[in-house]
Amino acid sequence: MTTTTTMTKRGVMTGYLSRAGGVSALTLAVAIAAAAAPLLSPTSVSAQVRMTVPPQSEPVALRGATIHTVTNGVIENGTILFENGVIIAVGTDVEIPAGARVVDVSGKHIYPGLIDAYSTVGISEIGAVDVSSDVNELGDFNPNIRAEIAVNAESRHIGTSRSAGVLVTLTTPGGGLISGMSSAMSLEGWDWEEMSMKSAAALNVNWPNPNPRRGRGRGFGQGRGGPPQGPPPTYAEQVEKLKNFFAEARAYRDAAAAGEQTRTDSRYIAMIPAINAEIPVVVSADGAAQINDAITWAQEEGLRLVIRGGRDAIHVADRLVANDIPLIITSTMAAPGRQYEGYDGAYSMPARLHEAGVKFAISGGSGTLYTNRLPWEAGVAVAFGLPEEEALKAVTINAAEFMGISDMVGSLEPGKQATLLITTGTPLDMTSDIEQTYIQGREIDMMDIQKFFFQKYMQKVLQNRRIVS
Amino acid sequence: MRGGSSYFLMGDVVRAILSFLGLSLLLTSGVAAQQATRTQPVTGIRDNGTGFHALVGARVVTAPGQVLDDATVVIRNGLIQSVGRNTEAPAGARVWDLTGHTIYPGFIDAHADLGMDAVPEGGDVGPTHWNPQVRAWFSTTRNLQDDPERRAALRSQGFGTALVVPTEGIFRGTASVVNLGDAGVRDRVLRSDLVQAVGFQRSFSLGGAYPNSSMGTIALIKQTFMDTDWYMRAWGAYEDSGRAFLPPETSEALAALADAVQGNQPIVFETGSEEEYLRAYKLAAEYGVDAWYRGSGEEYRIIDVLRGRTDPLIIPLSFSDAPDVDDPESALNASLADLRDWYLAPTSPAQLADAGIRFAITSSGLSSLNEFLPNLRIAVARGLSTSDALAALTTTPAALLGLENTHGTIEEGRVANLVVSEGDLFTEEATVRDVWVHGRAYEVTRPPEIDPRGTWLITSDDEWGFEAELRLEGPLNRLRGSIDVAGPDGASIDLASAEVVAETGRIEVRFDGEDLGYEGVALLAGSVRGEEFYGWTSLPNGANPSFRGSRTEAFEGATRGTVAMNVPEIDLPFIRPMMEYGVSAIPEQPAAVVVRNATVWSQGPLGLMENADLLIQAGTIVAVGPDLDAPRGAIEIDATGKHVTPGLIDPHIHSGVSSVNESGFAIVPEVQMGDVVTHNNIWMYRQLAGGLTTAHIKHGSANPIGGENVFVKMRWGSLPEDLKLEGAPRTVKFALGENPKRRQGRYPDTRMGTQEIIRDHFLAARDYEREWQRWEANGEGIPPRRDLRMEAILDILNQELLISSHGYRADEFLALVRLAEEFGFRVQTLQHGVEAYKIAPELAASGVAAVVWSDWGAFKLEAYDATVYNARILIEAGVVTSLHSDNNEIASRMNWEAGKLLRTGLTPEQALSTVTNGSAKAVAIDARVGSLEAGKDGDFVIWSGNPLSQFTRAEQTWVDGRRYFSLEEDAAMRVQIDRERTQLIQAILSVGENDDEDEDRGRRRRPGRN
Repeated sequence: MTTTTTMTKRGVMTGYLSRAGGVSALTLAVAIAAAAAPLLSPTSVSAQVRMTVPPQSEPVALRGATIHTVTNGVIENGTILFENGVIIAVGTDVEIPAGARVVDVSGKHIYPGLIDAYSTVGISEIGAVDVSSDVNELGDFNPNIRAEIAVNAESRHIGTSRSAGVLVTLTTPGGGLISGMSSAMSLEGWDWEEMSMKSAAALNVNWPNPNPRRGRGRGFGQGRGGPPQGPPPTYAEQVEKLKNFFAEARAYRDAAAAGEQTRTDSRYIAMIPAINAEIPVVVSADGAAQINDAITWAQEEGLRLVIRGGRDAIHVADRLVANDIPLIITSTMAAPGRQYEGYDGAYSMPARLHEAGVKFAISGGSGTLYTNRLPWEAGVAVAFGLPEEEALKAVTINAAEFMGISDMVGSLEPGKQATLLITTGTPLDMTSDIEQTYIQGREIDMMDIQKFFFQKYMQKVLQNRRIVS
Repeated sequence: MRGGSSYFLMGDVVRAILSFLGLSLLLTSGVAAQQATRTQPVTGIRDNGTGFHALVGARVVTAPGQVLDDATVVIRNGLIQSVGRNTEAPAGARVWDLTGHTIYPGFIDAHADLGMDAVPEGGDVGPTHWNPQVRAWFSTTRNLQDDPERRAALRSQGFGTALVVPTEGIFRGTASVVNLGDAGVRDRVLRSDLVQAVGFQRSFSLGGAYPNSSMGTIALIKQTFMDTDWYMRAWGAYEDSGRAFLPPETSEALAALADAVQGNQPIVFETGSEEEYLRAYKLAAEYGVDAWYRGSGEEYRIIDVLRGRTDPLIIPLSFSDAPDVDDPESALNASLADLRDWYLAPTSPAQLADAGIRFAITSSGLSSLNEFLPNLRIAVARGLSTSDALAALTTTPAALLGLENTHGTIEEGRVANLVVSEGDLFTEEATVRDVWVHGRAYEVTRPPEIDPRGTWLITSDDEWGFEAELRLEGPLNRLRGSIDVAGPDGASIDLASAEVVAETGRIEVRFDGEDLGYEGVALLAGSVRGEEFYGWTSLPNGANPSFRGSRTEAFEGATRGTVAMNVPEIDLPFIRPMMEYGVSAIPEQPAAVVVRNATVWSQGPLGLMENADLLIQAGTIVAVGPDLDAPRGAIEIDATGKHVTPGLIDPHIHSGVSSVNESGFAIVPEVQMGDVVTHNNIWMYRQLAGGLTTAHIKHGSANPIGGENVFVKMRWGSLPEDLKLEGAPRTVKFALGENPKRRQGRYPDTRMGTQEIIRDHFLAARDYEREWQRWEANGEGIPPRRDLRMEAILDILNQELLISSHGYRADEFLALVRLAEEFGFRVQTLQHGVEAYKIAPELAASGVAAVVWSDWGAFKLEAYDATVYNARILIEAGVVTSLHSDNNEIASRMNWEAGKLLRTGLTPEQALSTVTNGSAKAVAIDARVGSLEAGKDGDFVIWSGNPLSQFTRAEQTWVDGRRYFSLEEDAAMRVQIDRERTQLIQAILSVGENDDEDEDRGRRRRPGRN
């Protein structure tokens, strides 16, 4: 991979892959077919499969852009300088060292790479193909599960997520009562080890549901004499199991600290950073009673609590604010939870929580395979009342802070990783384009599987058109 | 469905125990004397009671609205000999002193379940019907069984006569009118096999794969009607030929349906919801059958529809339990739909009566028969007059069942069917004392012969002796009271329970012993004789002091509870659908509407126009352009700064129908989604809120050839038939790939098999066509049968039923396109088409449109090669291209789906075309919708900004020139919904307090009982 020195030189498909502008797309395509046919040969296409690029080897200065630092405001006509993957300076008056590669990005915008606080990128490939999923381990208690080691660096979803501006994910296992550890992954690298930013970033707990809702049956039933269904385990039983597991983990830690001989238990060992509040405990809870009970429990346990889901969080807003408990919203682009709720119940939830003073991140949770939709999850909240800068924080600095990685990513500040986007506008709206991304200073190959198929099969259309004409 | 588990009124316990232990007593004998009309020889000694009775002293309700006080009813040989006031009991009659009681004509249940049609082990035998759900041959008369408990249970609710309706299957067999006495089976049938019974839910126990959906059920009913017609003609042809060739098949079911299909025998349709009623009515009209309807309890939702209809209607008293609102979060989960149903369903009978609609009331449709009388009282408390209630149980069903000359009133010469009640059955918690059936009395309950209410001084001289004052008060069936124990350790304690045991004249009382220094429950029982009381106690310490007492003061008060309206009057306007955001009427259609100064995306030849106007008159677009002249009085909408687009179109959703898949057969084009559209669909409102105005509701993807789809417009508040897009093309669902081949044990299992089963059915349809042609030419042999499945496939081959095929991969699509070409026609659309881009030139050449997703993929293997550039490549190749949702939720934000295509290089108008004009063209509805052009439907959306931006939302959605959604109205409705929910939740809480015996009490509260 050769580094390029200007935006416009990047790749052969620039005009082809981006907005057609005033020109009819068809005309454009035909024009390209005629003028650039050699460049679109099968050889050049196959060379376009997403390539992993080497670590940053020379200082890079991006100059002339509107820089959205997130934490320190917006800098017009600014420059950002980074070296060895780390931001050196951001501002209008940045001294560019000798030997730096300077890229003119005038008229563009620079944002920090977006962070999906709840993702399965890399551990889930094809929804209905069970064997392609490593999300759910068997059993109720799996704190020792770490997502990172199952992350497939060749997953197709990595490229498409990056193209959408999502450069960091908290890849997270699910299932059981304690699902395991989220790993913070940067979406560039030859293998999971290179990608991993933090192996055990957060412990995940699924809070049981005391108020499972029953549907009102209409339509076509099982008919007379249909098979009966057994009762599920009770709420109290499940909560008791959870509490007991934490108590056992604490006892294990204390026994070990006291020098008592105990047989090793990898599950309790894994729990220690969580019960010591060194890493967050992310509790999945949607109902008000769930959230309330989870807060009471976490406070008794002395945990660093993050609530994930939070569909009814607005009813617990005062308590969340009073106790400074952050929330990861998983479903903004979603159906209202109840029939009487407004059609925009989920869309407007972030705005209402913001007004109530709740701190939150927004995740790409509307579909486990769709981390690439994270920007829309945040963007819809803007359409329904959330200030745009808050929506941006919800997918950058807030996600980083809650998940304990804000020392590395989440904003454009010296000392943080040079993980950023060059765009034509806000990454939260589909009317703008994401033109180039950098991850830890590496200038990312913007090809992904979807663009690859586009290039390949446009060839078929163009070849066919030549035959026809 | 409705109803929870059974529950008892306190006062019903005794009766229920009697009924269900089979303890009902036959009090009289004697009508078996008519030996000359009985075939069975008498064995042993004849039983010849006189059958001569005089019921004196009662209040007699002889007919609805007609009452004789202190009247005498004389019964002789099963008939009423006389009824009148001031009549002496004739000499020789057994005299029943019923002073203080009320006598009603015996109730008639026009849709009773006697539980006699259980499916035999191993299934039905003989040449019945290929489908086990078709049991039209089943006769309730031929299968009349002795079922004393069931009959006694019906009698305990006042019924003496019933139309016994079979319950198993879709075609269930014939219902017969029987009396509910305990005479032998040959003496009980009044009208044999009077009506055929049909229902819309299959019986699991009967087995069979098809149908397993609402629309499959209706398709089977239609085909069976047609098969019956054929069956008669086929056998006729065979007999007429002098049996010159082999006979047609034998089907007892089809033979049994002949009368009904010819309109000579009614069909009673059992409906479980308002939708099923609407479907039954449509079906009956279409096939010209004489229909009766067993209602659903949801009649209050369609009062406007029912008004003026005279077809027999038999309604259940099926009222929902209250939603659980006992804690804030449960209350949060209670939908307005359920809350309203709880409040309004009990008003259905009154609403029907007020609307002048005649109806009978049935005991069926309840989870327990013991709910019947309590629910009847609720209906009365909620506005049904007692005379209308009685008519619905007597004269109306009598006329319906052809018994109007013998049953339904208390008149001379009528059959002696009577209900004797200790009070007013309709307004008081009165129990049925006896039910008379054909002149025989059956005891139901005996009211307590003692009245222990009042204040008793009781003393005990035993070791653990005491002196106490026991107070008992309230109605007899809900006794309450307290006990004051005298002495230094004495206390005043409210009784935990108190009840009179009827047969023994004993009173039993329980109370907490804690205040007396005992940990536990104290029991006290005693026998009352006049003003004296003898008994013993069981104290928590094991002591059993006996006592005696005397009454110092009597209690004056009604002996039984009355039933009254116990919920607050809440003004709940009629809305449709009967749920959140339902509307009282569909929006008005102004004569003219003009939208001014908008950015108008015409999606037609006019392109995108800044500062343009849109003029609509009487629901149709008249003009688009700058500075339009509008007629005087036109509604002007200033849309400065706004964008206006055509109403969005989604060519593939599955919401708004009662079922999605009929998977019983691999090939089911005879099933029609249009048969099962439901208006009770909150998604329609949400989709309107996202700018969607037209949708194509698809059959599911379980079959290589699925069912016929239906187009709807988002006319929120309309009934199902009015939602359908008039004049829309007919389309049929095909499905390729993983879904149709994964049904276990059903061909096909491969993509090759999928292709072959489709081809084989295409060929079969051509064969079918030739058979008809041959027969029509020479008329020889057995006439061919009309086969809805084959006819649908012929329509496909003739391009009258357009193929809209589900599939993902390029290979399977290409194969289908070629298969259609082989048969000389064209596939209309490929739907999903995740790999459509791979065969874009082939699709363009064959004229196939593509309906694809924006960025949905990888959710299954065949969706793995998804690319957001799919639509872009297809459009570049010249394929007519649309997006779709295949999902309720996504259908509510199709503009953003189109917006996602901007990053693929499509122009904004191209991107929007995939949810407007491109969509309309793809599914061949572009003559009416999809663009803002003169002559097209007035369907449009006003957006806050660029409709393709994530930051934009729909502000108004118009369909047919009517504003079905606006942010302002939405906000106003939310206020109204909150108010109604709050009122209804409060109403439930106000009802609940006196009904807390049950651990599950929150779910049981009924509005309208005491």
